[in-house]
Amino acid sequence: MFKLLKKALQVGEATVEYPFKPLEVSPGFRGKPVYNFEQCIACGACALACPANAITIECNLDEGIKSWNIFYGRCIFCGRCEEVCPTGAITLSPEFELAATTKEDLCCRADFRLVRCRSCGEFFAPAKELEYILANLENIGLPETAVATTRQLLEVCPQCKRRRGTDAAIKSLYWSGNHKQGRK
Amino acid sequence: MTTVEKDFGPREHAKLAEMKEKLKKVIRRSVYVYRVDCGGCNGCEIEIFASISPVYDPERLGIKVVASPRHADVLLFTGPMTRPMRLPALRAYRAAPDPKIVVAYGTCGCSGGIFHDCYSVWGGADKIFPVDVYIPGCPPTPAATLYGMGVALDILQQKIKGAHHVEDEVVRVQPAHPNVHPDLRKGIEREARRLCGYLQGKQIADKYLQFLEEGDLQAVDRKVKELLKDEKDPRLVEVYLKLHQIFTDSMERATGNGG
Repeated sequence: MFKLLKKALQVGEATVEYPFKPLEVSPGFRGKPVYNFEQCIACGACALACPANAITIECNLDEGIKSWNIFYGRCIFCGRCEEVCPTGAITLSPEFELAATTKEDLCCRADFRLVRCRSCGEFFAPAKELEYILANLENIGLPETAVATTRQLLEVCPQCKRRRGTDAAIKSLYWSGNHKQGRK
Repeated sequence: MTTVEKDFGPREHAKLAEMKEKLKKVIRRSVYVYRVDCGGCNGCEIEIFASISPVYDPERLGIKVVASPRHADVLLFTGPMTRPMRLPALRAYRAAPDPKIVVAYGTCGCSGGIFHDCYSVWGGADKIFPVDVYIPGCPPTPAATLYGMGVALDILQQKIKGAHHVEDEVVRVQPAHPNVHPDLRKGIEREARRLCGYLQGKQIADKYLQFLEEGDLQAVDRKVKELLKDEKDPRLVEVYLKLHQIFTDSMERATGNGG
């Protein structure tokens, strides 16, 4: 009996004191994905990568709002969102205390404003994403004189760009055709 | 909404809620938990059994797992609620005496998880029962399980809150490491991720790119050497040297072209 007690005292307590003391998790623990709204450019790469569709993107083209949603009740903590995020806006934290009594507490939502196309006036891309592209171009060495024109080019939706491209191509074709005829 | 809800009228519901509040006050130190696997992958079950091990020892809090729903105060539903399991789950729910606390356990139990859009998946316990507490996690760690039980019994406070951000003015997000050329940055990040996986690779690349931001070739050389002097992991040394090789190559190319 005493031997056993002695042994038990030597070995000490095996039980962690978790609810009464904070628990230290191991390094590399994948807990709650923490979202940094300031850093997000609403590109939607995380929504594409999310295997469980915990992150979803909705576009409201009438009001010009792109909303980013995460539902922690569906997240499987794989870390793919962290992997693909170009700006580091979402990172997995060691936080594991996620239990909630209502479903709304497990949701996080962020609304971003869209930019209108300069040509057709439709909403098409988040303003923050365009700003990020511009910032990248400036870092590579876009001269300051070209910033305004580049911004104008960026603020045209892909469809209008395509239309402009075809118009230009047709014009040039027409022009070259006329030119040949004139030469004959 | 559900078959269970239809059993009662609003008066019974109010009474049940009142009883449940009473239960939470009375039962703090003698909670019997019954777990129901509604089509899970067994990950949650393993974690539940890990959490009733002596390491976490929920019996010091009075929480005990029992083998029959007739003894249970808390029902723990795991799994995405598949079609064949929904009737047994309902039977277990009916067998447990009122008032009872229903816990949706694991990502699947909360919402169906990665199986939420599969055929024959109902998508979580809350599609059939009124759920009191959600414990997300795939699977929840034993500590998360204990915390969830604490929240279910009103011993611990809920920490997570819903958030809604709205963009008022457009703030420009600056790209990381603006002083490093994007091609060089891409090369270093790719190599680091190729060698060490995305998480460690990203951390290592970030650390190396910080050196690059600060100085020229000699300064970076010195800093890398300083870092590697105390490094005990030979694998990490090799990775850093490879990243450094990419940088020196690019510098040579640049100066070679210039000269």
